[in-house]
Amino acid sequence: MLRAPLGVQTPEDFDADVRLMADAALQFARGEVMPVLDRLDAQEEGLMMSLLKKACDLGFGAVDSPAEFGGLGQPKAVATRVLEMLSPNGSFATTMGVHSGVGQTPIALFGTDEQKRRYIPPLARGDYMGAYALSEPNSGSDALSVSCRATLTPDGANWKLNGTKMWISNAKWAGSFIVFAKVEGERFTAFIVEREHPGVSVSAEEHKMGLKGSSTARLVLDGAEIPRDNTLYEVGEGHRVALNTLNLGRCKLAAMALGQAREAIHQTAKYARERRQFGRSISEFGLIRDKLARMASNVFAAESMLYRTVGCIDDAFAAVDPSKGNVAEQNRRAAEEFAVECSLVKVFATEALGHCVDEAIQVHGGFGFTEEFPVARLYRDARVMRIYEGTNEINRLFAFNRLATKGGLNAALDAEPTTAAGALFRHAAMAATKLDTRTQQVDAGLSDLLALTYAQQSVISRADRMEASRHPRSEFARACADYFSFLAGVAAYSRAAEVCARVGGEPPVTPELHGVGSDDRIAAAVLEGSQYPL
Amino acid sequence: MKVLVPLKRVPDPYSRIRLAPDGAAIDTTAIKFEINPFDEIAVEEAVRMKERDASVEIVVVSIGSAECEEQLRKALAIGADRAIRVDCAETLDSLGVAKVLVRVVERESPNLVLMGKQAIDDDNNQAGQMLAALLDWPQATFASKIEFNDGRATVTRETDTGQETLEFPLPAVITTDLRLNEPRYVALPGIIKARTKPLESLTLADLGAQQECRVAVVSMRQPPPRTAGRRVNSVDELIEALRVEKGLLKS
Ligand SMILES: Cc1cc2nc3c(=O)[nH]c(=O)nc-3n(C[C@H](O)[C@H](O)[C@H](O)COP(=O)(O)OP(=O)(O)OC[C@H]3O[C@@H](n4cnc5c(N)ncnc54)[C@H](O)[C@@H]3O)c2cc1C
Repeated sequence: MLRAPLGVQTPEDFDADVRLMADAALQFARGEVMPVLDRLDAQEEGLMMSLLKKACDLGFGAVDSPAEFGGLGQPKAVATRVLEMLSPNGSFATTMGVHSGVGQTPIALFGTDEQKRRYIPPLARGDYMGAYALSEPNSGSDALSVSCRATLTPDGANWKLNGTKMWISNAKWAGSFIVFAKVEGERFTAFIVEREHPGVSVSAEEHKMGLKGSSTARLVLDGAEIPRDNTLYEVGEGHRVALNTLNLGRCKLAAMALGQAREAIHQTAKYARERRQFGRSISEFGLIRDKLARMASNVFAAESMLYRTVGCIDDAFAAVDPSKGNVAEQNRRAAEEFAVECSLVKVFATEALGHCVDEAIQVHGGFGFTEEFPVARLYRDARVMRIYEGTNEINRLFAFNRLATKGGLNAALDAEPTTAAGALFRHAAMAATKLDTRTQQVDAGLSDLLALTYAQQSVISRADRMEASRHPRSEFARACADYFSFLAGVAAYSRAAEVCARVGGEPPVTPELHGVGSDDRIAAAVLEGSQYPL
Repeated sequence: MKVLVPLKRVPDPYSRIRLAPDGAAIDTTAIKFEINPFDEIAVEEAVRMKERDASVEIVVVSIGSAECEEQLRKALAIGADRAIRVDCAETLDSLGVAKVLVRVVERESPNLVLMGKQAIDDDNNQAGQMLAALLDWPQATFASKIEFNDGRATVTRETDTGQETLEFPLPAVITTDLRLNEPRYVALPGIIKARTKPLESLTLADLGAQQECRVAVVSMRQPPPRTAGRRVNSVDELIEALRVEKGLLKS
């Protein structure tokens, strides 16, 4: 139904080298990052920069950047897995994610060779950090409405930029910024701005609810003068740079969410095993086991969707061929092709994380509400993930509207649904299109149904493949796929009923619900190793 | 200088071990495997030697089935130059391992064999000593510091009674202890580079070696689960309990 075919990529397809890379990333996060979280949150002078430098020395800073410019030239799926494993802490994840992602990919995809030569090697080495500056105080979700202006100097050699960018991650430490401004107040354009360019400054840190170790500050451009050659891509085409970078960024964000969700599961399982009430370990209680099962099933689903999507994006990039014309143009198309899936994955993974950290607190009881245990920090740090890189509202609306406007919807409705969620999506979408009563509420409901369908397909296909290849964890995968299908069936039914009620359509038929019994096996597997077992 | 580092594929020391249904092996489904941590220290030490002196060549060798190439590749990623896998489906005992390694030493003529003091799976702590004896080479076990000078090695070793320093000529066998060094994180460029490093697979016959194993694992048992303790109210009660219930103290 969606563009992304099944069976392109699952985490189980990674070869031993990639598993070793992922392991190296996890070892690094555990050994270097996790022991210093309090100091990171206090933004101890020089600490985050030195961690980033160490990470870059190990090659984590530019996994999917082009090899001829100092990156490692690996597929995006590999970069995604590495970032996932680097991400048990949100602040470090954001810093690395922005540095290796939105701070770098615009240049890798849209830059000239000269720009790539100038900026990618130092970013890959971690000489300085990268940042991405789109948002402004008055331009958030409505990102193309920026008021930052660019005008050419009279001699035509330089741009003069004026305006303030807000919420810029890494701002305090960044040496280069991808900045979006309007040429003559009209033509939306991307620029590469160096911190050392005259007229560039960074204001004080925001006081945030969480993610305190990550720098978030304003970038002030006060007649900032940058060379004309620092125009990124074409004048008036900045929206392509901005939006396509965000498509890929949303997958990286999902990886960062998964890394934190894994940590939440780990902490929760560990605590549940240790805590005793009523003379028993609380991990023996059905409600606690169910929480662990839901957390793991949702993570399994988010992971399955993410790697399916990234695998397809890799295939699209693999088809880019310099002999077939403009590379930047081909890159743009590759980054655009799975935009719907990228948004669905971003929303699903960040909400799976939201659910995980919430239940992590709950399982810890009162202790979870204190700073004595690490889950309070996880909870605070996770919250922003539903807000940045496009709020989840914006991503929900975008996903469904894009599918509808690009003609994907008809194809989606013609295809015979293979999942319970898919059948409910079809029912609700037919009701909504026939009656032409679409509102944002309806579109968001349909978007959720689309995500549940994508997720359910992805988990079933992954479990099938693991069984076929006799993967040692195939039983766990099947249990997750079954339990997720059960949960997705219930959620999809409720969403479909809501959409139908809103548009005055026939209510949906209750789906057949299987998989209820598999939660206990999932909980047992999670508890055994005190971690998400895949 | 040429350094041979034998290494063993072992279960990740942090994984939860369960027994296989037949009770004579561990259940290897879903456990992760690693380079034996002491062997990884040996690889690290060799790589540090190479960083000080570029002429050092590091050859890693493992005896086992195809899976252990994963661990050999990791050693190549850390910085070894080439790898040899001696194909062998059975698990050998320490003497069997030492005898195969003798053949590898004859083939490679290293100046030094650097290996873990023991493997964390069976904890035998024998292969290094046996290898040195079979080769009739000097040996230093439990090394916490190693220095080389003019074809001689100076090794500080940790013993139960304190530190001991040995000095001897090469070639020699040195086994590593925990405090020798702290292995580095594997760097991604190293992993990519390792893809083009040679990994040779040999049969026992190629080496003129035999599969020898005098030790058979008859059965394995999980340690009994710990039962809850009990509080006693006085020393007298404790002594009474130890004497009567446990039969521990003779009056
Ligand atoms: C910690 C942090 C780090 C960040 N890092 C960066 C960065 O590095 N670079 C960068 O450029 N930006 C960054 N951002 C900014 C972030 O992307 C924006 O906050 C986000 O896009 C939302 O914009 P806003 O805050 O202006 O909210 P608004 O756009 O004002 O939204 C407010 C609410 O209205 C909803 N809403 C808005 N429009 C619609 C609509 N059309 N239909 C329905 N609902 C709507 C939103 O979903 C939201 O719930 C960061 C933000 C934070 C908090």
